[in-house]
Amino acid sequence: MRLLVVEDDKDLNRQLVTALQNAGYAVDTAFDGEEGHFLGDTEPYDAIVLDLGLPRMDGVSVLEKWRKGGRRMPVLILTARDRWSDKVQGFDAGADDYVTKPFHMEEVLARLRALVRRAAGHATSELSCGPVLLDTRSSRVIVDGNPVKLTSHEYRLLAYLMHHQGRVVSRGELVEHLYDQDFDRDSNTIEVFIGRLRKKLGVDIIETVRGLGYLVGQPGKAKSG
Amino acid sequence: MRIRSLSGRLLLSATLLCCTVLLIAGLVLSELNRRSVTQAFDERLRLYLKALVADVATLTDGTSTDVGNLGEPQFQIPLSGWYWQIVKLDQEKDTAAVMRTSRSLFSTKLPFLIDPIDPRRENDASDGYITGPESKRLRILEQLIDLGDNNRFYISVAGNAAEIQDETNRFNTALTITFVLLGAALIGSTVVQVGYGLMPLAELRRAVFAVRQGDAEHVGERFPQEVAPLAHELNELIDANREIVNRARMQVGNLAHALKTPISVLVNEAEQDTSALALKLREQTGIMKDQVQYYLDRARAATRAVTIGSVTEVDPVIDAFLRTFPKIYRDRDVAYVSTGAKGLRFRGERQDLEDLIGNLIDNAGKWARSRVEVSIAPVPVDPGAAPRFSVLIDDDGPGLTPENRMQATRRGRRLDETKPGSGLGLSIVVDLAALYHGTFELDDSPLGGLRAKLVLPAV
Repeated sequence: MRLLVVEDDKDLNRQLVTALQNAGYAVDTAFDGEEGHFLGDTEPYDAIVLDLGLPRMDGVSVLEKWRKGGRRMPVLILTARDRWSDKVQGFDAGADDYVTKPFHMEEVLARLRALVRRAAGHATSELSCGPVLLDTRSSRVIVDGNPVKLTSHEYRLLAYLMHHQGRVVSRGELVEHLYDQDFDRDSNTIEVFIGRLRKKLGVDIIETVRGLGYLVGQPGKAKSG
Repeated sequence: MRIRSLSGRLLLSATLLCCTVLLIAGLVLSELNRRSVTQAFDERLRLYLKALVADVATLTDGTSTDVGNLGEPQFQIPLSGWYWQIVKLDQEKDTAAVMRTSRSLFSTKLPFLIDPIDPRRENDASDGYITGPESKRLRILEQLIDLGDNNRFYISVAGNAAEIQDETNRFNTALTITFVLLGAALIGSTVVQVGYGLMPLAELRRAVFAVRQGDAEHVGERFPQEVAPLAHELNELIDANREIVNRARMQVGNLAHALKTPISVLVNEAEQDTSALALKLREQTGIMKDQVQYYLDRARAATRAVTIGSVTEVDPVIDAFLRTFPKIYRDRDVAYVSTGAKGLRFRGERQDLEDLIGNLIDNAGKWARSRVEVSIAPVPVDPGAAPRFSVLIDDDGPGLTPENRMQATRRGRRLDETKPGSGLGLSIVVDLAALYHGTFELDDSPLGGLRAKLVLPAV
């Protein structure tokens, strides 16, 4: 899962990035509205944390431009503006959630998990496919009742595939969603991670679709669990 | 005495002026008339006098003995008030003997206006008033004629002065009636004039009222040049007032932003650590968070000096909430429904209405199982009283016991802190409702949960 944090306060931005990375997300950052808009417009994020009081371009304008341009990724507004009219304006502009400062990191993490899950069409925080159970809240993976220890890269890969069950996910898409901008994007590493993941899970739920990518779950079945 | 009304001042001054002018004019006219009436009377008397002089001349040269036949019946009727008298003066003896009198004098004599043998007399002729027989006031003309040969006569003709008085009285009565009518007409026209002249002031008052009602942003500029500067200044004042409130609100918003982000940073930093310092920091940032929120709310309340003429359409606010709340609580399957009157307007700031209704819907939404209903209705008031409207917010949640309801509507109380911000939201509602002289009550809802009822000023 790849996220974007648009926040002009450097300390807060750093804290968010650290917390999100610890939670297993790939995170990009922007410190002003224009940069944030550009990244959100060009990169395929799974969710965006957006401040409203941004330099160069206001958060609401950024959001409106994304939505006008057809960008549908979930956006969580994180702002000090706590008036009802601000919330209404934020949601009208196309926000999916709204958290006011001061906030607890745990709350933002929980809301983001819900947003990502909902965007993928899942109702609960637990995703399952056959014997594999993935708890997005605790970032744990259980196979046949036994917990499996995964690295953060492996977890991200599995989580993305399980969020998009029933759909063939290309290698390029995986690269775009699993790594932040600064990562060395060599799609071969994906194959390496897939191999490790298959070995660790012990059950083969990841199918390789020749020339297209990878598939978890039944083709055409959009949702399970 | 100070008169507080402009039209009163104008009317009073116009009335005083009008009465003074009419009074002086009346007195002058009356006096002129009296003189001309007297003059005409004197003309008549002088004519008789001339006839008598001619008679006396014929008497002395012996051509006639019939003296004083003036052919006027009033000189024949006894004590008619019209008399003549011829006195022969003897210079040597310095005596005066009545020679002839009119019959009307009967056996009395006419008193002299000026004694004919008084050596100090200057003119041969004189006129004036005397009191004649039966104490009647008489107008009298006297003439001394000297026909030579010691033939000196003193001739008097007197007429009833009451006739002069009667005529002047008649004239004065007519004059008084005319002038009273004229005065009334003038005052009436002044009333019309004052009303017309002061019309722009009434218009200005209506314009200011319209601004206060929120029907207009400004008072118009199309006033006569005496009032236009006032209207202009009023508009500036209205703008300045709005400007001040807006600026105060903006600064409060900026302050919120400026404080909340650093507090967020501190809170998050402290949560990363378990040292004693981090614990202290966590504790203190918690207090800071509450304090900032508390004082921001206070600051907002202080900027809530209800500005002149702010009016808020209720429907858009409700619609915005019904649109937004399902998104805020996306995971909770609660339907937000609005019923009741449309097109009502709240006399107050939009932000305040949003705080009032938003906090209540928020509270209802947190507790509701499946449904929140918002219904708006005008409240019947006595004729002439300020219009009001009610907002009912019902939920099908667990509701509150009467004691808890009492506590929740007390000012500055937090009822329940298990749901974030819930108690605080209600205390804002209580404060705001009081600020707008509205009412806020909690009750059992027909839906099974809690009913919040607001009554607010409408337009």
